[in-house]
Amino acid sequence: MRSRGALLGLMLTAAAVVWTAGPAVAAPSDDDCLTCHGDAGLKSDQGRPLYVDSAVFGASIHGEAGIACVDCHADLKKFEDFPHAAKLKPVDCAACHEEATAAFQGSVHGRPHTGANPITVQCKDCHGAHDVRPAKDALSHTAAINIPDTCLGCHLERVKTKRDQGFAARYKESDHYRALAKSGLNLAATCLSCHGGHTVLPVEDPGSKVSRQNIIKTCGACHTGIERDYLEGVHGKDYAKGNLDVPVCTDCHSGHDIRSPENLGSGVYATKVAAICTRCHDDEQLARRYSLVTSRLKTFSASYHGTASKFGEVKVANCSSCHGHHDIRPSSDPHSSINPANLAATCGTCHPGAGDNFSKGKIHVVSEKTENRWAYTVKIVYMVVIAGLISVFLAFIVADLYRRARSRCKR
Amino acid sequence: MQTLKESGLIRDDEIFLRMNLAERIQHILLVVSFTLLVLTGLPLMFYELRIFKSIFSLENAFAFRGLLHRAAAVILIVDMAWHSAYTVLTRRGRQNFRELLPGWKDGRDAVALFGYNVGLSGWLYRKGILKAFFDRHPFWKFENPPEYGRYNFIEKFEYLSVAWGSVVMILSGFFMWNVELSLGIFPLWVHDIFVIAHGYEAMLAFLAIIIWHMYNVHLNPEVFPMSKVWLNGRISGHELKTLHPLEYRKILSERQRSLDASSPGAESGPDPAR
Repeated sequence: MRSRGALLGLMLTAAAVVWTAGPAVAAPSDDDCLTCHGDAGLKSDQGRPLYVDSAVFGASIHGEAGIACVDCHADLKKFEDFPHAAKLKPVDCAACHEEATAAFQGSVHGRPHTGANPITVQCKDCHGAHDVRPAKDALSHTAAINIPDTCLGCHLERVKTKRDQGFAARYKESDHYRALAKSGLNLAATCLSCHGGHTVLPVEDPGSKVSRQNIIKTCGACHTGIERDYLEGVHGKDYAKGNLDVPVCTDCHSGHDIRSPENLGSGVYATKVAAICTRCHDDEQLARRYSLVTSRLKTFSASYHGTASKFGEVKVANCSSCHGHHDIRPSSDPHSSINPANLAATCGTCHPGAGDNFSKGKIHVVSEKTENRWAYTVKIVYMVVIAGLISVFLAFIVADLYRRARSRCKR
Repeated sequence: MQTLKESGLIRDDEIFLRMNLAERIQHILLVVSFTLLVLTGLPLMFYELRIFKSIFSLENAFAFRGLLHRAAAVILIVDMAWHSAYTVLTRRGRQNFRELLPGWKDGRDAVALFGYNVGLSGWLYRKGILKAFFDRHPFWKFENPPEYGRYNFIEKFEYLSVAWGSVVMILSGFFMWNVELSLGIFPLWVHDIFVIAHGYEAMLAFLAIIIWHMYNVHLNPEVFPMSKVWLNGRISGHELKTLHPLEYRKILSERQRSLDASSPGAESGPDPAR
């Protein structure tokens, strides 16, 4: 392989030489460069290593294609008087990779960063310099299996996004990463799958793959069935109309540390679902805007399902057990799991043989006064009886102690 | 208060059996089941409290709670069934039950005890205020504490409360335990009433026991730190005389009668120790 590559390289170089050779000067060959840069100890005045491992370069896609040093380090093409100046022009990949560079220019990495320490991102920061390999190659910096570490090279500490610092690294806690690293599935979603490669844009940008406008499509690229379910549900229908208040994938599943609902750390773990849903459903502003019924968490918690759930019991029903999850529908929808006609079946998943009686009454009502008068009456009667009896008890006890104290004084 | 003189027929140190072994075991079973039921049930009523949340942070702790609650419920049900059978089938049980039935006297006793303890009427009478009224209705003077029979109004009230409470708790609890059965019979809104009644009745029982029963059998200076009747079942002739004078007199008169009839060996009072 190597020899063939080298041969090809040689031929290309020769061709280039023949083609560019004007009257006098021949461009320096790779061997010329390696005379100095092949020395493993070569360093700049600032101590930056200047060594180029010819084997590594030879194995890279450019090395294999026979691209010579000066093809990229183009300002040395017509140079003779070595050693050359310490500072060279940065390599311009656009000379060959025009499309990719154009896409990159429009991305957040391609824009000049504002701030105290502007960071310029270059092709080599992700692709490597002399060791560029195609993404299909498992040794490539941009191979799916290596992408997380490539991105985290900057996003772990150096780069501060608007989210907190460890935010990007939380990807490593996700099931996506588990599939990638533990199970070795290179189909698993990496940074690239959701954020895009050259075109990466910040989440606030409507054009970003992870913006509210696009995230459904982005996740749906792999989770096709779920995207379909979501778009049929009450949230998805409004989403399709351009409503950005409705929850999208990441609102419930989080962005980076996405885990399966069976995982205790997941935001949609059985005992945490209620908190997730009520973040919107108990929100006063949203409730007013969409006339939602609030106090969902309070009324759910007061039920046995909610109380047990609060205490960590996972077998009891949470919001999604009854309402569904991706394709949640209003109770008026005949296909809704909480449509009165379907309640027996929905409740029946946990309560075998559940009949029509399950639908004869309201679940987590705000006001028992209007929804279940008898229950309300029983409650009030008990409150009055408890308050009355306890007062009488205390009165008797105080009177008893008073009499004893009095008779002791007399004595 | 007219004090009863020590009679030769009932010595002050004579021992009477107030609670026999069966009754004591019934009471202990009630204590055990009640305590367990409260401990395992109350967290559901106060699910907001952080302390309960930390207790149940252990894995399966919540499921274990439920198991314990139902186990304690079974103890309570068995205890109640035993006590009911005991009350119906044994002579002593029937006698006790008759003694426990409330009457008008118990209402009067409650008012009289409270009035006597407060002492307002006595003070007014001594000051000559409302003298005519008090002379016409001496009851309202509350000169002496009321005299009780075998069970005073407090004990009767507690007994009947336990009876009522147990019925409510066992019935509502049974249907909460068997949700599918319950909803096979009742609509959901009725089942909701079971849940509400179960919780509030529990609160009522818990507070009544903690405040009222604990005062009367533990903190009350007369018995502090604890009345031992529930352990040894025994009450002395002196205690009988001071706490249950009507019962004391009843036994006394029975003994007197049998003595008068001069039929030897006929000591058949309701509660002699032997």
